[in-house]
Amino acid sequence: MNVLKVSRWTIAAFVLPCLIIYIGIVFVPILVSMYSGMLDWNGIGESTFVGLANFKKLLFHDSVFWPSVRRTLMFAVFSMAEIPIALLVAILLKRYVRKPNFLVSSYFLPVILSVVVVGQLWKTIYNPASMGGMLNQILDAVGLHSWGRAWLTDPSVAMYSLYFVALWQYLGYHTLIQFTGISNVPDDVYEAARIDGAEGFKADWHITFPLIVPIFKISIVLAFIGSLQAFDMIMVMTGGGPAHATDVISTHMYNMSFTSMKYGYGSSIAAFLVVLCLAATFCINFIFNKLEKRYS
Amino acid sequence: MAKMSKLLSIVLTGTLALSLTACGSGNKEDSGSGASGAAGSGSSTSDTTKDKNITITFQNIYPDPTDPKNKIMNKIVDQYEKDHPNIKIELDSLNTDQQKLKLKTQAASKEIPDITVVNPAAQMQPFVDAKLLAPLDDMLAENGLKDTFQDGLLDWYSFDGSTYAVPDGNNIGVVYYNKELFEKGGVKVPSTFEEMIDVVKTLKSKGIQPMAIGEKDTWTGSFLFMNMLLRTNNGPGFLKDVLDKKKTFEDPAFVEAVDAFQNLVQAGAFQEGATSFDYNAGENLFKTGKAAMYYMGTWATGGIESSSVNGKVGVFKFPTINGKGNPDEFMLAPGSAFAIAADSKHLAETKEFLNYFMLSFPKEAFEAKGAVGIGQKVEGDFKAAGYSDMAMDVLNMFKEVKGGDLAFDNTMNPGTAQAHLSSIQNLFAQKKNSADVAKEHQAGFEDNNQ
Amino acid sequence: MNTSTAVALNKQVAATRRKRFSVTKAIVFLVLGILFVTQVYPLLWLLLYSLKSNEEILSGSFFALPQSPQWGNYSSALEGNYFRYLLNSIFVTSVTMITVIILSSLCAYAISRFRWRFGGAVMVVFLIGMMIPMQATLLPLMIIFKNMHILNTHLSIILPYVAFSMPIAIFILSGFMKTIPHEIEESAVVDGAGIGRIFSSIILPISVPPVMTVCILTFINIWNEYILAATFISSEKLKTLPFGVNSFVSQYSVNYGAIGAFLVLGALPVIIIYFLLADKITQGMVAGAVKG
Repeated sequence: MNVLKVSRWTIAAFVLPCLIIYIGIVFVPILVSMYSGMLDWNGIGESTFVGLANFKKLLFHDSVFWPSVRRTLMFAVFSMAEIPIALLVAILLKRYVRKPNFLVSSYFLPVILSVVVVGQLWKTIYNPASMGGMLNQILDAVGLHSWGRAWLTDPSVAMYSLYFVALWQYLGYHTLIQFTGISNVPDDVYEAARIDGAEGFKADWHITFPLIVPIFKISIVLAFIGSLQAFDMIMVMTGGGPAHATDVISTHMYNMSFTSMKYGYGSSIAAFLVVLCLAATFCINFIFNKLEKRYS
Repeated sequence: MAKMSKLLSIVLTGTLALSLTACGSGNKEDSGSGASGAAGSGSSTSDTTKDKNITITFQNIYPDPTDPKNKIMNKIVDQYEKDHPNIKIELDSLNTDQQKLKLKTQAASKEIPDITVVNPAAQMQPFVDAKLLAPLDDMLAENGLKDTFQDGLLDWYSFDGSTYAVPDGNNIGVVYYNKELFEKGGVKVPSTFEEMIDVVKTLKSKGIQPMAIGEKDTWTGSFLFMNMLLRTNNGPGFLKDVLDKKKTFEDPAFVEAVDAFQNLVQAGAFQEGATSFDYNAGENLFKTGKAAMYYMGTWATGGIESSSVNGKVGVFKFPTINGKGNPDEFMLAPGSAFAIAADSKHLAETKEFLNYFMLSFPKEAFEAKGAVGIGQKVEGDFKAAGYSDMAMDVLNMFKEVKGGDLAFDNTMNPGTAQAHLSSIQNLFAQKKNSADVAKEHQAGFEDNNQ
Repeated sequence: MNTSTAVALNKQVAATRRKRFSVTKAIVFLVLGILFVTQVYPLLWLLLYSLKSNEEILSGSFFALPQSPQWGNYSSALEGNYFRYLLNSIFVTSVTMITVIILSSLCAYAISRFRWRFGGAVMVVFLIGMMIPMQATLLPLMIIFKNMHILNTHLSIILPYVAFSMPIAIFILSGFMKTIPHEIEESAVVDGAGIGRIFSSIILPISVPPVMTVCILTFINIWNEYILAATFISSEKLKTLPFGVNSFVSQYSVNYGAIGAFLVLGALPVIIIYFLLADKITQGMVAGAVKG
């Protein structure tokens, strides 16, 4: 597949600068973290080597851990489910709007805003009606008072409220990426399809989608990364509470490493995260390799 | 296409040029601040030839320029730099959470700043155990600094006979109440907890929000809960007894406190969605006259004075529960405190500066009307200086303190404290069996004290 | 579309279609319009927020206008070293972006186009790090940087920003470069061009669209980054914009209005640049149509 035969020195010149920085700053710390996962260490004083004790406790005796894994995965599922919606928006923009760039850019705005803004905004939306919470006030106004909730503090709905904020914030992000993908599909492809009798969404299913599979993959990967790293938003809005009801892997890791000062234990969570990332990367690659083969 | 790449190249060269110049200036700055140990290259003052140019890093938690403490700090630092031209104080001002995280990270690599901020007792113990902090006894002896602190206060910052930090505050837990709302609701200041529940119910029935709390920051609920435990335990020392294995969390006193706390929550004392309100948002309900009572440390006094409810606010001591406890026993909150790095390159100079800082602090705080709840004795007539009636009430209450307890996270280790904090936060979300809450605490305690 | 045959062919169909379209179109525009409002409203909200007093913010209702605009919020925001923070942010962000693009495109090119044994292995190594959150490496990085003596310099945040942006950049760029037809390089080789020339004058210009994507991704990941910056930087003169926001949150008081003002000031340059370049960005991306 690769065509160019080049000298070893050329390869080194192209690859090494990148690789050295990456290994020194990302890879080595990850390895160090994995080692710290085997320590009983508060992060400050003396540490003792405890082997796999942290992992054993994490996997079998931590009542917060598995629910937080489940929420992280749910987060990922919701984020990925959003991508087809973003694709739909992108298709509508492309098809019905003469100058779509302005709208695409506007949809992207929430992504640029600091998480502090987004968090504050949604907290005021989710507040109880008596505190000026917009959502509950609207529900009251349309006679759906019984639907009203303490959106961020009722453990049964709090996490869904957070998912929704993430979906709202990143809709424009995925729309932009999909829009780019669609714009790259040449017009004559559609023209040819129309002559063959394929139009509208039928054409999209058969033409647009196969052509933008690679772009779709980028979106999926980004959505997954985003949900694994969802941290700031949760910290700003609920801090993982009430009573761990909105903890995800990254917030649990942070709380253990720094707030509870069990750095060794926190590192074992980090190690778990690395394994999860690896599994996810290979799954995504496997699925898309199949998809790409089928369509090409 | 071609146009695009042209544009790109212009942008690229532009930013590169910018980055090169910025790099140049960046390097220059580094030699000044980064290599502070070495002699300053361009010592402009010729009369201080024997003094090297020195930079002292002062990590602090007063980042808000509109906060009086930030102004006080800047004023003292400016004055000191003027008096000592060879010394530069580099302020690293961070918010509280960020400062805690940064200090822990720095401590792990033994790289803590010359001056930093720690919290009393159990919270600073790991830093002392790791020998990261310098003993300050010699500094306290200098210029009589030690005697400016309130009696016994420094004990919270002392380990094995040495003091490792000097606090900026010393507060007690009280209930603030809005006199106007109390009148409107037709209720009086409660003298027992049972009356307090009635007050809550009456206010609630008249559409007045009885109490405010910012329970997203979990320590707020814990602080109130611990005050209840101080009553049901008939005096201080419950947590110490647990640590000494004389009691467990399943002790009746603890269960009774959980019961009382749940009664308060279930009576509808707190605002809806309390666990998503951070400290400030909770306090602001009270400060904007939307809640009738607010339990907090006396550090809140200044903020309440400068809010719209100023003049309508009174304070009362947390009452007895089931006839138990003494209202003159308070939750004690010795404040965050300044400590000096043991391996500071300029230990002597840093101590000299902190000595000066702390000696000037009470006077400046008094003038800035921020002297309620500071950790040092203040000379001066508060009334004449324009402090409010409420501030005077609070100051008088300080005189009646007959001991008390520290907050949970100042007594227990961080792991146990986190288990406790989230267990109490959960009580705001759902009603639980009090015995289970006690069991949860005991399990958390045993888990973190093996 | 402008070919007359197509027009002639579709004339009748179009007539019937137009009617149906007007209904669909209305719905589509309604949906897109609602989206526009929900996505842009935060900015307006932020503007109002930044002009309110602390008490209005915490007690006032959602849509309320400020009673009297608190321009003082902006002066307190500017008091807090805004311009220095802004310059530092621009510096750190642009150096990071340039470095990421140059290094990752080189590496992605080698992975996707060179014939060598370890190409796949190197790619896997990068994929491993792609999803790791930066916070997980905070403590080890602190120790590494301490030993490199670069704590409290811009380098100490640029390095991790670059390193953490590279995996996704390489992922996107190598994905794109794989699709470039081989003939382009082959003819260049025949013309006697060296590998450096091929890269700089053929491959890079073609890769503008994915480079734009990488730019945007890198930018949004680092412009608001605070945890690493706050941990590694202590000097006031090196701090970046997120410090400004967080400096208004002190121990027992929060100056919400000033935070709002600072957020407006922090977001403003970005929004202006973004909208000025938005056309160029999307055009640049569209220019990648060579692929089809």
